[in-house]
Amino acid sequence: MKLLTKTSLNYLSVTLFVFLFATIAFYYLLRHQVNQNINIELEKRKSNIVNQLLSAHESAAAPTNQNEKILITPLKEIKNPQLNFYDTIIYEHSYKKYIPFRQLGFVTQFNNAAYYIQIYKSLEETDNLIIRIFLIMTFLVILIIIVLLITVRHTSLKAWSVFYDTIKKINNYDINSHNEFSLQQSEVKEFDDLNRVLKAMTARIERDYSNMKEYTENASHELQTPLAIINSKMELLLQSQNLDEKQMKAVADAYEASNRLSKLNKTLLLLAKIENRQFPESKSINPLLMIEKQLESLEDLIDSKEIKVSKQFDEDVFIKMNPYLAEILLANLIKNAIRHNLKGGDLIIKAIKGEICISNSGPEHNIAKGLLFERFHKQSSSQESLGLGLSIVQKICELYNYKVDYNYENKMHNFYINF
Amino acid sequence: MNLVQIFISFAIQVEIFFYFCYLIVSYNIFEFVYMKILIIEDEKTLTDSVVEYLHEEGHVCEAVYNYTDAVEKIELYEYDCIVVDINLPDGSGLDIIRRVKKSAKSLGIIIISARNSLENRIEGLEIGADNYLTKPFHLAELNAHLKSINRRINFDGNEQIVINEIKLLPNNHTVFVNDKELKLTRKEFELLVFFISNKNKVITKSGLAEHLWGDYMDMADSFDFIYTHIKNLRSKLLKEGCADYIKTVYGVGYKFDLT
Repeated sequence: MKLLTKTSLNYLSVTLFVFLFATIAFYYLLRHQVNQNINIELEKRKSNIVNQLLSAHESAAAPTNQNEKILITPLKEIKNPQLNFYDTIIYEHSYKKYIPFRQLGFVTQFNNAAYYIQIYKSLEETDNLIIRIFLIMTFLVILIIIVLLITVRHTSLKAWSVFYDTIKKINNYDINSHNEFSLQQSEVKEFDDLNRVLKAMTARIERDYSNMKEYTENASHELQTPLAIINSKMELLLQSQNLDEKQMKAVADAYEASNRLSKLNKTLLLLAKIENRQFPESKSINPLLMIEKQLESLEDLIDSKEIKVSKQFDEDVFIKMNPYLAEILLANLIKNAIRHNLKGGDLIIKAIKGEICISNSGPEHNIAKGLLFERFHKQSSSQESLGLGLSIVQKICELYNYKVDYNYENKMHNFYINF
Repeated sequence: MNLVQIFISFAIQVEIFFYFCYLIVSYNIFEFVYMKILIIEDEKTLTDSVVEYLHEEGHVCEAVYNYTDAVEKIELYEYDCIVVDINLPDGSGLDIIRRVKKSAKSLGIIIISARNSLENRIEGLEIGADNYLTKPFHLAELNAHLKSINRRINFDGNEQIVINEIKLLPNNHTVFVNDKELKLTRKEFELLVFFISNKNKVITKSGLAEHLWGDYMDMADSFDFIYTHIKNLRSKLLKEGCADYIKTVYGVGYKFDLT
């Protein structure tokens, strides 16, 4: 549940609850107040009547009027007279309906006899008034609640929009994207604090990350010179006349190993550079020329495995990328397709608009698709390859947002690049 | 008396002429003139190796380890070729190349650098370097490049390399054994030139592989092909009555042995 919905619901339920009790209380308070007024009025009339009865003649005895109804009964006739205020309903003939009345009964001496006197006050008008006041109040309160709800919701939405924006940006945050991580300004201090902390955090992460990458690159770079020294010294050592065969072999093995090391180092450096986006300029390239060039360079390998190469090229296929990276990308895929090919197998290179597909025949392997592009994931522990070729392919594709895919169909390994 | 003087002066002129002829011919026969090379590289141990290797080839090598010394040497002396590292402690090797090129010397320039990005390479070649080698490099490779620069400078590329019964015309890509033309594939020819450039030296398999294929092939792949190519080259040479110069150094590589 969204925070805003939750707070709104809470607010609504609490106000409704309070409102319910408040209205009930309000109704009774109002009623009580009105009754008090009527009581006072009835008391006044009572004292009037008593005074009248004491001082005047019989003629003044019975002033009757709808509102000032009075009933005088000798006390003897009544068994237990009600002496106080109470509510009653009387059938009114002129209106042909029951009308609520408030009644005051009292006993008074008059002409030497005790009389029980009841005076009434109609409640119809006051009841109507109460109901109207009550309705108006209810309407006003509901209106206030609604207006409040809407304004609160609106202002919260506005205040929280910065927060939602921040969440969206964190969600889409990619440390490799090199886009500036900019957050909206907020009038709310808490959100501003949050954004400030987040900005500081991402800045720190980015700095650490780039430091790390820089370190990798520098380390690989610095390794090249000592490797060059090792290689040159061993090459000189190999020229010396007084080494026996065993010693020569040992030096040569060490020499090959350091060569391998330098190749590995160069490749890792390349990967780091791709990740650091150090190949900015891109051109429109015709991949077909590059493929032809690669195939020519790999002629020996193709011939020795008796691989049948077939090409299906569309005329106007162009790829927009860095030429050096394009060459590496294609070379790695083609080399891979040749190396894992069968003797006398097929190598099919298809290039159509938006897609290059390089397929080679070969037995099925059990490397999970996800691991195929992992660094140093090799099918065999052979020294043939470094196990970085496909990882480079993937990194290059990532750089240009190309989709690289693999499947195994009809005894063919297929690598697709969608650009 | 007059006649005698004229005769003697004529004889001297003829002698000088023949001497020059001899020199020209001897250049061809002895493959190349030795070069004066300046090596500019701050890593002393690496420089030592390079100097030692090139010295054995008969070149005159001088080494400096920083920009200032390099500039001083270049201003004072004439060199046929400079081998220069881009990253020097007190300056850029590229500036040295620009400086050298400004004084319009037709000398050969080889860059050795730990940087192997395309931009560095292109920049280096654009300002006039002949070659760009990335560290680590094979000494044999450096030597082969120096030889080819030597051919360009001293023979305008129209040189023939003669080694006993073998005659190579690098520009026409042709080989003669006992004056009979030998048909070689491109790779076999490159192999032969590389061998001759580094004659009497042990050349490792990886050095050969990198020379023939560059970065295109991974090493283990290429070793088999080297074996095949060398086998073919050797049998072609032997068939034409050439001595068996290509020796296998077990587990290491090969040697073009003239001794």
